Amino acid sequence: MDKFLILLLTGLTVGSIYSMVALGFVLVFKSTDVLNFAHGEFLMLGSYLALTFLVSWDLNIWISILIIAALICALGVGIHFGIMRPLIGQPLFSVVLVTIGIAIIIRAGLLIIYGPLERGRITQALPQSGFDVAGVPVPWVNMIMFVVAALSVLVFLLFFKMTRIGLQMRAVAENLEAAAAMGVSPNSVFATSWGIGAVMAAVAGVLYANYAPVIDLNLSAIGLRAFPAAMIGGLDSVGGAILGGLIVGVLEQLAAGYIGAEYRDVVAFGLMFVVLMVRPFGFFGKEDVIRV
Amino acid sequence: MAVPVLKSAPVLEVANLEVVYKNAVIALRGVSLTVAEGQVVAVLGANGAGKTTLVRAITGLLFVHDGAIRDGAILLRGEDLGRMSCAQIVSRGVCQVPEGRMLFPSLTVEENLKMGSMTRRDRAGISQDLERIYELFPILGDRRRQEARWLSGGEQQMVAVGRALMARPRLLICDELSLGLAPQIVETLFEMLARLNREDGLSVLLIEQNARMALEYAAYGYILETGRVVLDGPAPQLRDNEDVQEFYLGGGEHVSISYSAIKHYKRRKRWLS
Ligand SMILES: Nc1ncnc2c1ncn2[C@@H]1O[C@H](COP(=O)(O)OP(=O)(O)OP(=O)(O)O)[C@@H](O)[C@H]1O
Ligand SMILES: [Mg+2]
Repeated sequence: MDKFLILLLTGLTVGSIYSMVALGFVLVFKSTDVLNFAHGEFLMLGSYLALTFLVSWDLNIWISILIIAALICALGVGIHFGIMRPLIGQPLFSVVLVTIGIAIIIRAGLLIIYGPLERGRITQALPQSGFDVAGVPVPWVNMIMFVVAALSVLVFLLFFKMTRIGLQMRAVAENLEAAAAMGVSPNSVFATSWGIGAVMAAVAGVLYANYAPVIDLNLSAIGLRAFPAAMIGGLDSVGGAILGGLIVGVLEQLAAGYIGAEYRDVVAFGLMFVVLMVRPFGFFGKEDVIRV
Repeated sequence: MAVPVLKSAPVLEVANLEVVYKNAVIALRGVSLTVAEGQVVAVLGANGAGKTTLVRAITGLLFVHDGAIRDGAILLRGEDLGRMSCAQIVSRGVCQVPEGRMLFPSLTVEENLKMGSMTRRDRAGISQDLERIYELFPILGDRRRQEARWLSGGEQQMVAVGRALMARPRLLICDELSLGLAPQIVETLFEMLARLNREDGLSVLLIEQNARMALEYAAYGYILETGRVVLDGPAPQLRDNEDVQEFYLGGGEHVSISYSAIKHYKRRKRWLS
């Protein structure tokens, strides 16, 4: 039972990171119809910048998160205006290839600047002790990671549901032409989605750098975990992405704990295949996403 | 002429408008028309005549369909709309009830209505107008928190009209308002437009296949065929015109019903392809 609780809590912690990443991925897709395969690289960039800010410069983690989020947000918005906007109207396939190109460039940039050696996780920014919940030890790092991720998602949801721009984002996702007919500028909505998606990935990246076993150029694989999370929820459902992230996180941990570490990915992607076979649009998705 | 055609200066003046899709399909070939301040004008035409293309050109939506204005001008009180963005056009008081309603299905009724006010900044005015829409259409007030997808066709069209009114337009363009709706509801909607026209001086451009209905409410009409204006004149004159009677009024209800059936089929095909 203890083992199960530990695995569950760890799963929720990692899952909260997946949720953030899947949320950004889905958000960009929902409003711009672009599957951003560089999304995991945004996260990895956040983790590496965290190394510089937290380890090399020894800055406060909360200030660093804000600065890094702002930097990567600017990158996302820049990608929209500089690269994606001129590509509007191109086939989905070319646009996806372009995002893969962006991923490769970010990766190469990190290799050039930080070198190929892996680093240990960041230990100086957050308390390394822990506390007990019903006899189960919980590290502060996990707790803080979960709370910050949950807060970020909550703030986003409030923004999405309550503000004018949030309303515009939802409207554009449903019917771009009708939103434009009401005087909404699709471009500013697209740019906002890219910006928010990037911020989510950046914050997740900084947090994860305090948790990951090592920081190296494989970190972007988290972006790949977000994929089943997003697919399980339904590619166009923000709520589904959040839930999907948690489900993937928990199942992964349970599989690793009870079956064996090498089954982690099998379970996540296996679940994705099953869900896609039973419900091609995910649990919360809408059918018209089939146009992809 | 029995009816004074130009009450005052034109709100909208379209001159020799030529529109091309994808650099290949010519949809409008030199269309000219005028809407005077406070006037209701009808544009009639069969499927594919170019009616919706005209609406897209006026409201700056051609870019969504890879279309462009190749020649001619669209003047709103003398200002050229041709190069403006949708946002600029809406904030100058031109808004539309699009063909097929185009609501946001998973947004609530109230959110749909609010989408009409995106170019406005006056919060107080917006919530005041929202209440006014609920007075005009009490049923929408009852359903304000419901998702738009669950409304009946008539209620959805009310939302589409209300949404456009939320922009506080001076010129309202309705693209086939009557399509697929029961005559009763069509009449309610047209009566309401007539009232807004009378009381607030709202100018209205009615795009219709339902010629009988449109010519009843409009003061002036244009008939569009394959991208050209083939006939125009004061509404009573058009009603009495033999060709118009034969092609647009002949079968009465039958004509409009069969048109909408054809159209429904066409839409389905478009979705499937
Ligand atoms: N997105 C598009 N791309 C290419 N051609 C188009 C497009 N939209 C319309 N057309 C063409 O332009 C012409 C006019 O179409 P339009 O939709 O303006 O007609 P309409 O009078 O509104 O017809 P309907 O009564 O069916 O709505 C048609 O020949 C149509 O095939
Ligand atoms: Mg049309």
